[in-house]
Amino acid sequence: MRRLIPLLVGLLAAAGPARADGLSFPVLVPLTGFLSLEGTSQRNGALLALKEAPAGLVAASEVIDTGTSPEAAVTGLERAAGGGPVGAVAASMLGTQMLAMLPLAAELKLPLVTVSGTASITEQGNPWVFRFFPGDAVTKTAHARYVVEELKKTRPAVIYQTTAYGQSGKTHLEAAFRALGVNPVFQEGVDPAAKDLLPVLTKALSANPDVLVLHLHAGPTALLLRQAATSGLKIPVVAGSAMHQPSTAALLDPAELKGVCAETAASPVSGGSPAVAAFTESYRAAFGKEPDAFALGQYDGMRMVLAAVQAGAKSADDVRKALAAGRHDGLAMSYASDGKGNMAHSAVIVCYDGKTRIPALVKRYDNVTGVVK
Amino acid sequence: MLAAALAGLAYALFFASPYGLRVLTVAGVYALAAFGFQILFGLGGALSMAQGAFFGLGAYVTGILGSRYGLDASVTFPLSLLAPLLVALPVGLAVLRLESHYFALATLGVAQVLHLLAVNLPDLTGGANGLPGVPAFALFGWVAPRGLPMAALVWGVAAVGGLIGWRLARGRLGRSLELVRDDPLAAGCLGLDVGRLRLTAFALSAVYAGAAGALAVHTQRVVSPEVLEFPVMVTILTIAVVGGRGRMVGAVLGALLLIHLPEWFRGLERSYLIVYGAALLLAILVAPNGLTGLLERLFPPPPRALPDAVEPPAGPRATGEILRVEDLSKSFGGVRALDGVSLSVQAGAIVGLIGPNGSGKTTLINVLSGLERPDDGAVWIGGRDRTGAPPDQIARAGLARSFQAATLPNHASVLEAVAAARLPFDRSVAEAEAHARWALDRLGAGDLALRPCHGLPAALRRRVELARALARRPSVLLLDEPAAGLTDAEKADLAAHLRRLAWEGMALLVVEHDMDFLLPLVGWVLCLDRGRTLYAGPPDGARRDAAVIAAYLGGPAVRDDSDDEDGA
Repeated sequence: MRRLIPLLVGLLAAAGPARADGLSFPVLVPLTGFLSLEGTSQRNGALLALKEAPAGLVAASEVIDTGTSPEAAVTGLERAAGGGPVGAVAASMLGTQMLAMLPLAAELKLPLVTVSGTASITEQGNPWVFRFFPGDAVTKTAHARYVVEELKKTRPAVIYQTTAYGQSGKTHLEAAFRALGVNPVFQEGVDPAAKDLLPVLTKALSANPDVLVLHLHAGPTALLLRQAATSGLKIPVVAGSAMHQPSTAALLDPAELKGVCAETAASPVSGGSPAVAAFTESYRAAFGKEPDAFALGQYDGMRMVLAAVQAGAKSADDVRKALAAGRHDGLAMSYASDGKGNMAHSAVIVCYDGKTRIPALVKRYDNVTGVVK
Repeated sequence: MLAAALAGLAYALFFASPYGLRVLTVAGVYALAAFGFQILFGLGGALSMAQGAFFGLGAYVTGILGSRYGLDASVTFPLSLLAPLLVALPVGLAVLRLESHYFALATLGVAQVLHLLAVNLPDLTGGANGLPGVPAFALFGWVAPRGLPMAALVWGVAAVGGLIGWRLARGRLGRSLELVRDDPLAAGCLGLDVGRLRLTAFALSAVYAGAAGALAVHTQRVVSPEVLEFPVMVTILTIAVVGGRGRMVGAVLGALLLIHLPEWFRGLERSYLIVYGAALLLAILVAPNGLTGLLERLFPPPPRALPDAVEPPAGPRATGEILRVEDLSKSFGGVRALDGVSLSVQAGAIVGLIGPNGSGKTTLINVLSGLERPDDGAVWIGGRDRTGAPPDQIARAGLARSFQAATLPNHASVLEAVAAARLPFDRSVAEAEAHARWALDRLGAGDLALRPCHGLPAALRRRVELARALARRPSVLLLDEPAAGLTDAEKADLAAHLRRLAWEGMALLVVEHDMDFLLPLVGWVLCLDRGRTLYAGPPDGARRDAAVIAAYLGGPAVRDDSDDEDGA
C-alpha cells in the first residue's frame, strides 16, 4: 500500500477535477546511486506534503530518478517541464546536479525547491533556487560552535569526504573554527568508496586531538564510528548531518553510538513538538520508515510552495515570488529567503546516549548567518 | 540506412519535444565518443578504460576555458581534442605494449588519476563541485541554444565523425586493426607495425572522446568529476557492444538505444534499473553480434562482387643466398632452445627443418621472423643483417611465415584474410583485394574468395594461409608444419605448389614431421636436437644418419625415393 502512494497521488492528480490550478510539482531526486537513501527521504517528504496538500488542493507529481549525474538531472528537468505547467520542482539534493539544473531552471523559469546543503548553489545569482535546508555556512558554524563553546574542545581532528559535500563542509568547518580561534590538529579527506577507515582514524589520533569532527556520508560515518568503537576511542565525536539519519543509526549498535553527537537541520524522530510528532507518524504510516531532516526539509519546502498556490499563485513565477518574499513557519524551523534563496537559518545538535538509536536534541542554533564562503 | 536517418531527422524537426531533443542530443554526444571506441576496441581489440577519462578531459578543457575565460568554441573545441591527444600519446606508448586485462587495468589507472586531479585541484577544476556557468556552444558570434540547434550541431559533428570513422574502418587502417585484434603475432609477421597501429587507434579514440566531452559540457552547462567517472566509460563500452563491435552505425544505434532506454522506463522509479538491465540482457541475447549484426541477419546484404585479379609487383628475381643464420642461440630461463645453429638458404632452394618435439624448430622460425630475439648469433636476409629486428621490419625485408595452426580471422572472408597481407604494401583495400584475388587464383583457391574463414577445412585453411604468404611476394618463406592434417592428395598438391614457388626463385624453409612429404621435397635438411644441429646435409644422408635415426626418425633407415631434389 505504501508503495502505491506515489501512484495514487499521480492518479488522483490526473483524474481529479482540480489539478492545483493546473500546476504540477515534479519530484526530481536521486533514487539510485550513492545518494539513494537521502534522495528517497527527499522524495518521501515531497510526496507526503503533496498528499497532505491543503484542503481543495490536489497537486500532480511525477517522480523522476536523477541518479547521481548532472546529465540525468538536466534531462529529468527538461522532461518534467514538458509535462504541462509546473509550479515548482522538488529538486535533487546533490550539489553538482543542482548546479547543472540552475541555468535550465532559469531558462524554463521554474523554481527549484531543494534540501541540498552543499555547493554554492545559492551563490550563482540565480533567483530560481530555494534551499530548505541549512547550508554549510549555517550547519558547520553550529558544528564548530558546539565543539568549541559547549564541549570546550580546542584540538579537533577533522575527517571529511572527498566529494562535493565533503569539500564544501571541510571549507566551512575550517573557516568556522578559525573564527572561533581554533585550528584543527588534523584534516584529511577520504574517498566514499573506502572500505577501511582505520588507517585515517589512526592517523587522526596520532595528532593527539581532543575531539573527532566528522563530515562524511552516511555509510562512511557508520563505518568509522564502528571502527572507532571497536578500537576503544576515548574522545567525543561530533559528526555531520549524515549521522542523524535513522538509516545511518540503524547500521550501528546503540552502544557504538555512545558519546556521539551530530549536527543537523532537524531530527524528527527526536520529537520536539506535537506537529513534528504527527509528521513522524504520518511518514511512518506512508512509507514504513523513519523520517530524517532531509524528508522534513523537503516536506516544509513543498508545504510552503503549496501554501503559495493556495494563496493565489497561478504560475511558476508567482510561486518564485512567494518563496522569495514570504515567510513560512515549518515544522523544523521558520523559513525565509536571505535574498539568495537560502531559506533555512537554523541548525540543531543531537546526541546519542548509547542506549537507543534515537538521539536527543541538545542544542539549537537559530538565525545563524555563518561564514559564507 | 538513409530512410532511418531521414526518419530521425523528421522526428527531430517535427515531433520531438524539448525533452526529446535533449535526449537525442545526449545520444549524439555518446555516439561520437563511441565512434572512437569502435576504432580502438571494436576494430583494434584494445579494451581501453580511458575512453571515459578522455571524454572527461575534453569536457574539462571546454568547461574551464569556457566558464573561467569566456572563450568560444573556436578555441575550446580544438583544445578539447588536442588535450586528450597529448595525454593519449605518452600514455599509449607506455601501456599499449600490455596485453588484454593488464592494458585495461593500466588505462583504468589513467582514468583514476584524472579523476583525482579533478577532485583535488579545486582552484583549477572547481573540485568535487565542478565548474558551473559553462556557456552554450558559441562560434564566431553564433550561439547554439538548447533544443533543435544544439541537437543539430551535435548530430552534425557526429555525422562528420561517423563518416571519418566509417572510412577509416573500411580502409587500410580498419582492416589492419582487425588483423591486430584477431592475431597480433600474425599481424606483425605480415608486416604490420602493431605498436604504431595501436597507438594510432588510441590517439584517434582520444580525439573522438575529447570532442564528445566538449559537446557534452555545452549540453550540461556544468562540468564536474562525474564526467570522469566509471559510468561514462561503461556507457560507451555498452554502446559499442550492443550496437555492434567495430561498426560506426552500431555506435549510432547503440547510443540511441542506450540513452533512450532508461528514459522510457524512468517512470518506474527505482525499479527502472531492473527493467533497464533486463532489456539490455535481452538485447545481447537477441543480438549477440550487436544491433548491426541483427539487422544484417534479418536483411542480408547482397553478395559483393569479386575484384579482378591483379598480379602484385614483385622485386627483381632473387639469386644467391637469401637467408643466412650464423651461430644462433636462444635460451628460455635454464632451457637452451637454440645453441649455435647456422643455416643458409639459397634462392630457389627448399630446406627441410626436422627434429623431435622441443628440439628448437619453432624457436628457430620465431627468431628468424622476429617474434623472439636471439641471445647470440646473427640473421641475414637478402644480404642485410636483420638480427633482433621486429617482425614487421623482417616481414617488409621479404620474409614470410606460416604458423602451425593456420591463423585466419574467423569473421573475415578468405579474400579479406589474404588481402590483409597486402595492407602494408598497397595504397588501398581495393588494390590489396585485387592482389589477394591473384594469389588465391594462383593456388587454385579463387572460388573460396567469398567464403568465411570460419569453418574452412584444414587443407583449405593451409592453402589460404599459403596464399596470404604468396600475396606478399616474399623472397623467403618459412612454413611451420604445412602438411599437418592433409590427405595424401592434398600433400601432393601442396608439394607441387611449393616446388613452383621455389622454381620462381623463392627460398623456402619447411618444418615438417611427415618425412614422406618432406624428404622428397627438399634439397637440404637441417636436423635439430635440444637446440643443437644434429645433422645438416642432403635428405638421403638424414635417412641414414645414425644420430638422426636415434634422436628423431627411429626404426630402420627411410627408403630413398627422391630423385628431383632442390639443392641448398
